[in-house]
Amino acid sequence: MTMKRTLLTVCMILISVSALAQKRYDEIKFPELNEFEKTKVEEFALDNGITFYLVEDKELPLIRVNVLVKTGSLLEPLEKTGLAGMTGQVMRNGGSENYPADELNLLLEDKAAFISTSIGMGSANASMNVLKEDFDDLVPVFVDLIRNPAFPQDKIDLAKTQLKTGISRRNDEQAQIANREFFKLIYGDNNPYTSQIEYATIDAITREDLVDFHEQAFTGNNMMIGVIGDFNTREMKRKLEAAFGNIEPGSETNLIYPEVDYNYPSTVNLVDKPDVNQSYIFAGHIGGLRENPDYAALQLMNEILSGGFSGRLMQTVRSDLGLAYAVFGSYSSNINYPGVFYVGVMTKSSTTAEAIDAMLSEVEKLQVEPVQQAELEEARERMLNSLIFRYDSKNKILNQRLNNEYNGLPDDYFDEYVEQLKTVSSADIQRVAKEYLQPDQVQILVVGNKAEIGDQLSKYGTVNEIDIEIPLPDTGEEKVAGDAAAGKEWLNKMADAIVEPGTEITSISVKTQTIQDSPMGSMTLGNDAVINYDEISMMANLTTPQGEIEMELKNGSGVMKMMGQEQQLPPMMTKPMFNEIKNSYLNIALKKDQFMAEYLGTEEVEGKEYGVLRVDGENTVTFLIDPDTGLPFLSRTNDLNPQTGAFATNETRYSNWQTNNGLTYAHSTVSFSDGNKVSETTTESVSIN
Amino acid sequence: MRILASKLLCLLLIVAFQTKPAHAQSLDEFEKKVTEFTLDNGLHFIIIERHDAPVVSFYTQVNVGGIDEPVGNTGIAHIFEHLAFKGDHYVGTTNWEEEKKVIDQMDDVYKAWLYEKYKPNPDTAFMATKWAEFEALQEEAKQYVVNNEFSKIIDRNGGVGMNASTSWDKTDYFYSLPSNKVELWFSLESSRFMEPTYREFYVEKEVVREERRMRTESNPVGRLIEDFLAVAYSAHPYGRPIVGWNSDITATTIEDAHEFYETYYVPSNITFGIAGDVDPDQMKKFAEEYFGNFRGEGKVAPPVTTIEPEQRGERRVVLEGSAQPILVMGNHTVSGNHPDYEALDLLGRVLSSGRTSILYKKLVEEEQLALQVQNIAGIPGTRYSGLFITLGVPNQGVELDTLEQAIYAEFEAAKEGSITAEQLERVKTNLRANTIRGLANNTGLAMGFVNTHVERGDWRDVFNRLERYDAVTLEDLQRVAKKYLTKKSRTVARNEKVDS
Repeated sequence: MTMKRTLLTVCMILISVSALAQKRYDEIKFPELNEFEKTKVEEFALDNGITFYLVEDKELPLIRVNVLVKTGSLLEPLEKTGLAGMTGQVMRNGGSENYPADELNLLLEDKAAFISTSIGMGSANASMNVLKEDFDDLVPVFVDLIRNPAFPQDKIDLAKTQLKTGISRRNDEQAQIANREFFKLIYGDNNPYTSQIEYATIDAITREDLVDFHEQAFTGNNMMIGVIGDFNTREMKRKLEAAFGNIEPGSETNLIYPEVDYNYPSTVNLVDKPDVNQSYIFAGHIGGLRENPDYAALQLMNEILSGGFSGRLMQTVRSDLGLAYAVFGSYSSNINYPGVFYVGVMTKSSTTAEAIDAMLSEVEKLQVEPVQQAELEEARERMLNSLIFRYDSKNKILNQRLNNEYNGLPDDYFDEYVEQLKTVSSADIQRVAKEYLQPDQVQILVVGNKAEIGDQLSKYGTVNEIDIEIPLPDTGEEKVAGDAAAGKEWLNKMADAIVEPGTEITSISVKTQTIQDSPMGSMTLGNDAVINYDEISMMANLTTPQGEIEMELKNGSGVMKMMGQEQQLPPMMTKPMFNEIKNSYLNIALKKDQFMAEYLGTEEVEGKEYGVLRVDGENTVTFLIDPDTGLPFLSRTNDLNPQTGAFATNETRYSNWQTNNGLTYAHSTVSFSDGNKVSETTTESVSIN
Repeated sequence: MRILASKLLCLLLIVAFQTKPAHAQSLDEFEKKVTEFTLDNGLHFIIIERHDAPVVSFYTQVNVGGIDEPVGNTGIAHIFEHLAFKGDHYVGTTNWEEEKKVIDQMDDVYKAWLYEKYKPNPDTAFMATKWAEFEALQEEAKQYVVNNEFSKIIDRNGGVGMNASTSWDKTDYFYSLPSNKVELWFSLESSRFMEPTYREFYVEKEVVREERRMRTESNPVGRLIEDFLAVAYSAHPYGRPIVGWNSDITATTIEDAHEFYETYYVPSNITFGIAGDVDPDQMKKFAEEYFGNFRGEGKVAPPVTTIEPEQRGERRVVLEGSAQPILVMGNHTVSGNHPDYEALDLLGRVLSSGRTSILYKKLVEEEQLALQVQNIAGIPGTRYSGLFITLGVPNQGVELDTLEQAIYAEFEAAKEGSITAEQLERVKTNLRANTIRGLANNTGLAMGFVNTHVERGDWRDVFNRLERYDAVTLEDLQRVAKKYLTKKSRTVARNEKVDS
């Protein structure tokens, strides 16, 4: 009995103790953080200029080597944008002379080893990650790849194909468009900070360019090498000296970061993307340099504004207003060139302006109201208490050291920054917010659905619509220089044959029947249209197997109405239709003085000789003209097939010319694409309005 | 630290020399660093000591995901995950008792509005009244909310990497702290799952809707995957979107969320991983103190009982749009516990993992048809029968048909036995090495061990499964290719640019 009661009491005490032990977060007393030894980095240099940084790390039987090279796309000419990146890519993909690509790949993958190379804007990297027992075998392979990459032509061609595929896909995702276009707004075009690869710049790059770029860059005086893993430092030094000692010293590259001229313009920019229902928004202006003495205050200001879930942007725009899943911002400071200040968010089309206002008002608040001490201390604690994670692995410590050395920062620069963080006051935050932020002079970029957004953006100013259409690759067609004087004559001859001199035409009404061939069989389309050549517009009533469709093309955009539903047409669809109007013989005839023309000689088709006339306006069209009548027998254009991204030669042949009220019009046309017939059109009637 | 290192060393040596018996030996050594215990109520803990630096990573896995959601409430697992960051009865509120009253009323009013909305002839005046009431209550509730206090406490104490994720199979929550703050995790983690509040529920649903717009509706690949799965699965919930259908997000109420919590957030369904500079005895003590009174002892979360019926023929989906073409295809296969799983996984790797893989060499390098080709087994999950998927991104100028046919040609070759012993061996070597490389940090260890415990019943399977992979033969690869990569069991989804 007593025994039982004692037991019960003990149990009760235990229960109550355990209940008490469950503490709320503010009742917990934390012990001191365990001391730990900071990793030492061993440094040594070779005569050829290479500096090594070594850290022993025995946790795994691996060795990692990271070569940092002073070079970058800063050095590439703008007309060969992509050269640096391609050099980095083909170095690895193409293998070396002693270890051709296929052999190299097998050798590495058989040993579960990795080697990679890449070249960025202001530095290049070559790295190797191997089991320690493979180090001796693989380090010569790695060095050979760095010194003697083969750059085989087939791998250069492969890289070009892949880069061009990347170009063709760069407008698919909102995030990619927004990041690219916003940084262009801040830094401007034609500089290495925003330069982007284009079909033409990739085509301009030769194997020789890659060989030269590599040769200049991968020399001893440009290299810093970090080595970490399970090794003995003394022994490793010997191995590294043997492996890397023969690399030519070369001369140190001078990387120049161009000045950025920024005048704080206020602009509003839109990229229309009809297939989304959310706006991807950026607003901001130029940022600063790391060397700014206010750096610590600015970083703390960033933490208050946008430090993750605890930052004001997340609290207001996401948690309070429910306007976004993702909202972010930063006053960024770079070491070598100015960073960018931006706030950004993704929100549904209808709350585009609301989200912009909410973000900008948080920026203004930093200037207008001093930060409360409690909020400041919280932000400071967040930064200081998480510093341990900067040093929680030996690899992080080595990388920071390499980074500092590469950028010429003193080793204690971070400690100094931490000391400065401790002294930043509320007044400092307000001062730097006022000094460095200009919320009323920002550039706004919205990538979103124009029709859904409506006129929300007009309150910020005149909306500038950014055209992100991808400049077409070279058609591969050599532009033959022709005879311009003869060209003018032939053009006039054609124009006069089509439009009798003195005839006024601004628009025509035309009724046609088209038989369209497609993989699903042929389909008949009726079209009753009014085409205006002054404003390049078309109102069309189409009769299709699916029913009646009304289509309006005007001011560069198009709408389609079908069964009471109105739909905005994407530029990808409207563009070829506008081009068809612009490239038509009638449009060219009416505006003959606005076109350049060159006569290219004669061409024989089906036993008849025609004059070849190339007409250059916004597009290039080649006509074969009947020397007797002056009327075109056919026209040719080279167009990009949007489905495949490849070029096709489109040809239209004209016949059954009929003259009415001064207009001579081909009542029968047949179109071919790469030699395959695609459609046949018969004109039922045509009249001048 | 030394012990850990030498034991991992052993493991890697095995990798190098492929001496099978050493698996078991290295596992023995690893066991010295792992402490495992189950509380009386059923909550399971895996503690992994790693004393390199005074930091610790926490990983909570709840064995509930998109597939466990009731019909009409797709997205609820993910919504609940979001709400787990809103605090508890103490954190995130100025007065829980008062706040709770308003939250309860809000849900009642919302339900009244919602049910009216779906009547054949909804009373719009009634709806407007209810909506006004609902908005007023939402405003009222706000006065008690301490905005993001939960996250702020963690951030302020130096926490990093705080996040969570929801998949078809599971929901997980994770962050890292300086190791002197471990008790903070016990306090916050236990109360957020013992005292769910549904604070800011309706605002958060709008956040989730923005997440849906971002990941799916405005993203060409997101849209493609959503439609692909919806067609590949006609019955099993693997076909449903994790983020939820838009109307289901609207229809989900606090009551639904609470029922979901009551059913699935029970001790037998939750596993915790703690990796870093910690003392396992102290972890056990804290676990008992903070999690000892977790409700739901003995409760078992119901399994998904729907079985995907056998597919009757190839299914094809076309998404028309303005984005560049992409191809996703999937063949119905097996769950992660099926004896064919390892062979399928290896088949996928032989086909497309690394520069020496079959599809990479042939389609990316030689024929230059694809920018990228990838095969993955066990999508969208491994708890139930998943798909063997192939993702193909054609190069500029290449028709999707051409790429699709070229991929099938390689599948056919694999069925004919084209894969070589060297290819299989190479893939096994890399799998073993990468397993070890992935365990070289606290987060990787905690996640890897907990996931394996939940999926396979024992964290040791991280190592033991390597033996099963070793046992896979060329004949196995050929057999599974023949058995599963059939036209009949395939779904093909393509993103096609509309013809202008």
